Amino acid sequence: MPGKFGKPTDPDYGERLAEFEARIARGEKIEPGDWMPEEYRRQLVRMISQHAHSEVVGMLPEGAWITRAPSLKRKMILIAKVQDEAGHGQYLYHAAETLGVTREEMLEALLSGKAKYSSIFNYPTLTWADIGTIGWLVDGAAIKNQTMLAQCSYGPYSRAMVRICAEETFHHKQGKEMVILYAKGTPKQRAMAQDAINRWWWPALMMLGPHDSDSPNTPTLVRWGIKTKTNDQVRQEFINEHAPEILEAGLTLPDPDLRYDEATGNWLHGPINWDEFWAVVGGNGPMNKERLEARRRAHAEGAWVREALAAYAARRQQTAVAV
Amino acid sequence: MDTQWPRWEVFKQDTPSKPHQAVGSVHAADPFHALLTARNVFARRPQAVSMWVAPASAILSVTKEELAEGRELKPSTFDLKPSTYYVFRKTSHKRSMTFVDYVGELEAPSPEDALKLAIERFTDAPALAWWVVPASSVTKSEDSPETVESWFAPAKDKTYKQQSYYGLVGAHAGKHKRTQGDDDE
Repeated sequence: MPGKFGKPTDPDYGERLAEFEARIARGEKIEPGDWMPEEYRRQLVRMISQHAHSEVVGMLPEGAWITRAPSLKRKMILIAKVQDEAGHGQYLYHAAETLGVTREEMLEALLSGKAKYSSIFNYPTLTWADIGTIGWLVDGAAIKNQTMLAQCSYGPYSRAMVRICAEETFHHKQGKEMVILYAKGTPKQRAMAQDAINRWWWPALMMLGPHDSDSPNTPTLVRWGIKTKTNDQVRQEFINEHAPEILEAGLTLPDPDLRYDEATGNWLHGPINWDEFWAVVGGNGPMNKERLEARRRAHAEGAWVREALAAYAARRQQTAVAV
Repeated sequence: MDTQWPRWEVFKQDTPSKPHQAVGSVHAADPFHALLTARNVFARRPQAVSMWVAPASAILSVTKEELAEGRELKPSTFDLKPSTYYVFRKTSHKRSMTFVDYVGELEAPSPEDALKLAIERFTDAPALAWWVVPASSVTKSEDSPETVESWFAPAKDKTYKQQSYYGLVGAHAGKHKRTQGDDDE
């Protein structure tokens, strides 16, 4: 099923590339089986698998609070949300598989620490208000990115994103509702909500990726319709929506430079601590080690289930042959 | 080494009046395992009334571009008995969460013959991609009302999975378009 992947050394590369780029310019989707540059495939495998890993690792910070949810309603919501993240990981692994990479290779890359996933999940969830804040800010930032990726020129990635966006809006809403409720609650609840916003605001801005000037892949990704906006554009959209809403809720943001700019209609932010971002991406965030260990443990502890299912399938097949 | 379970493509039908649509894939040891996993992955929300799974290896998949480039559809050279194939087709580049839709079934001696026949028969809309699936390779969820109810109804009652459950929270706030901290109300 994987398509034909063109290399710049191929004799017809220039001609094929022109046709390919014309298709994208016409708004056509590239499907498995179609010609595509090897570099297009490589970038997609990198992005989609990282995205899938992020969904899977993203279950950990929230899953940790399922047993401690303050009510049955909140517990059901959180279980449904974490279940969704598992499903989103599956949609995305499927999309990457259409490019000829196996799920097994991708899992191996995650568990060995070779693959990257979103920097945001390497921060700890210290209080229950973190669960609402992750929904509002982290899923809010993710949706901005995913809405953009739903326009992606690669059919399977685009379809996975459309499905994910439809489900993710619930994640965003439940978090926003929770934080706004606590902001209007007792002084203790308000303090808990404010503390969570203070800790998650900057990491949420960082998770949308380095500034455009430090993002060498972006021009190619935009030209091939993989991304339709740059990191800074998506980050600006996120701030423009969330900053006024958080202030409206009676909370503050941990950025003394944050201000509304009449001229551009944008909310301008102060300098982002990119040293922190690169440290987290490089494996030295507060929770990197724990996250990877938790994934490895889950994989090892699930081995008996995989073995049992394989044994069952083998026996059924034998019985079928015997009959 | 690739030791993972085979991949199964999943087709979901949202309502009885809609066609089965390709929604994605799962890995599973056998068809029933595939169906169960498909239900967990693709029916966490309404709507669904039926699901099919087929091993990805059994599917003939051809895009418009491949046909235009003269991908050869070899007719069967053997005198094979015709069998049933399900035909799926994609007709639009529009934003969508599904790929090919079921358009019908036909009898043919091979998948390639089935595709040639499908191209002649299903001409109401231009095809961007085709899938031809041997009917014998497809495993379906049961159609009995009990199974449909127990498999697909629970998602309907979990209204907290819908964003509408949370109503309109936090209107956009124009009055905060000032320096943060000015607002003491």
